[in-house]
Amino acid sequence: MSIDVKGLVHVYHPGTPLETKALDGVSFKAEKGSWVAVVGHTGSGKSTLAQHLNGLLLPTEGSVSVDGIEVRQGEGSLRKVRQKVGLVFQYPEQQLFEETVFKEVSFGPRNWGIPADTLKDRVEEALGLVGIGSDLYEANPFRLSGGQKRRVAIASVLSSGPDYLVLDEPTAGLDSPGRRQLLDLLSNLKALGRGIIHITHDMELALGLADMILVLDEGRSSLWGRPDIILGELIERDVRGLVIPDMVRFAGRLRDLGFEVPLTWEPPVLAEAIYRSQGR
Amino acid sequence: MRFLNNMTLGQYVPVESLVHHLDPRCKIVGVLFCLVGVFMVKGPLGFLMWGLLFLLLVSASRVPARLVLSTVRPVWILVAFTAVIHLFFTRGEPLFSWGIVEITREGAVMAARMGLRLVLLVMYAGLLTLTTSPTELADGLESLFSPFRRFGFPAHELAMMMTIALRFIPTLLNETERIMKAQIARGAELERGGPLRRLRAFIPVLVPLFVIVFQRADDLATAMEARNYTGGEGRSRMHPLKWSVRDTTALLFSVIFSFAAVFLDGRALLP
Repeated sequence: MSIDVKGLVHVYHPGTPLETKALDGVSFKAEKGSWVAVVGHTGSGKSTLAQHLNGLLLPTEGSVSVDGIEVRQGEGSLRKVRQKVGLVFQYPEQQLFEETVFKEVSFGPRNWGIPADTLKDRVEEALGLVGIGSDLYEANPFRLSGGQKRRVAIASVLSSGPDYLVLDEPTAGLDSPGRRQLLDLLSNLKALGRGIIHITHDMELALGLADMILVLDEGRSSLWGRPDIILGELIERDVRGLVIPDMVRFAGRLRDLGFEVPLTWEPPVLAEAIYRSQGR
Repeated sequence: MRFLNNMTLGQYVPVESLVHHLDPRCKIVGVLFCLVGVFMVKGPLGFLMWGLLFLLLVSASRVPARLVLSTVRPVWILVAFTAVIHLFFTRGEPLFSWGIVEITREGAVMAARMGLRLVLLVMYAGLLTLTTSPTELADGLESLFSPFRRFGFPAHELAMMMTIALRFIPTLLNETERIMKAQIARGAELERGGPLRRLRAFIPVLVPLFVIVFQRADDLATAMEARNYTGGEGRSRMHPLKWSVRDTTALLFSVIFSFAAVFLDGRALLP
């Protein structure tokens, strides 16, 4: 069970002076129950890629398939894929429109035709996952705080019961407790067997959380692999607009100076390695 | 999937050309003369002249022909409707008739005339916006209307409003597209069912859009105040408009051409 992307090319406005190739031969695979981070600078094609995963954009060339269902025109295929793959846009709180939190979160399931008797459970489960208590069910979503709005918006995608969750910069604009809370939620969802596709420009975040990392540069997949492998490559060659985490640079410099420490992004691991390299 | 990204009505095409470099005031006044001229011709010679001039202008402007044609797309139904109405409901000498339906000679002529006239009008106006950026257009209008300021006409304010409105059309289209996509991702079906169902289906798009529009308006007002914006008095320009010999020539040409087209067309129609 996985999302398979093969040789994906996307051209915006073909045949006009505004023609641009946003994606140029991207391939990767996102398994269910794993966390894939898609990392790249602004304009590298991250958001375009995200919209292909649930058929909001269709490939110009190449293919995207979800659990074996190819994403292509034909309402049947697209609706099936969209129910399997939940997409959380950047600043998802801007999509809120209902009068109450409960109604907002039940919008998705009602659209998918989830029967009324299971609807309530679905909504309560989704709101429970994001940590919104029953005291807020009847609240007006526009009156919530920024972090709460975002969690309601994410619940409104979760309530449709997607197997995969694609999130475009989900932590943008959140304070650090809000950020922590959200990342914990995603780890939880992964543990529950959902596939997480996390789109971000933050390499440090990706290294610490993802099982696999895809680095995009100018619409091409420039790196694809496990975080430790990506890290080695990243030190070797400069990928435009990607900031190498401070801890990694620190470890790299120590290695240059002759210390036997691993390249790592985790402070405790590095601390232990330094301690051991001192022969104590 | 087609969302809103094929809206080309009035979309500026930034290429270098003679037409692009004309002063916006010259283009606005010139197009006005052309529009009046198109309105006043009746016969084949007149339409032929306007058609040929249009082809000449398009090739001089270096805007792709496909984009020029696409300016007609939004009014296509209106053109067809007008032509059909004239075709069937003009009295005169009958050409064909089936039962109560009757097509007259006069009807066919009127249908062709109205159809051509509308298409030419839209294309001439479209060429103006394809070759003139919204800012230039607003600057040109402001300058043209500034003599009326002494009668209390708010030329600068109107031009500023127009610039802002035009500036935000693409932004708001993008926002609309993004919200539509977000709701489609949550299973909304925006393009199915009858008109009433479609209208209801748009509520999830309209409500967030309104929130965003007010938010943006508020932010813009704050940003303008923070930059000490106080209106038009004593305000200088980054790109002052410059009228050159080229503009005088082009304007004179369009005026003379309009008169010539109307005059020659009228004479050709005399018995």
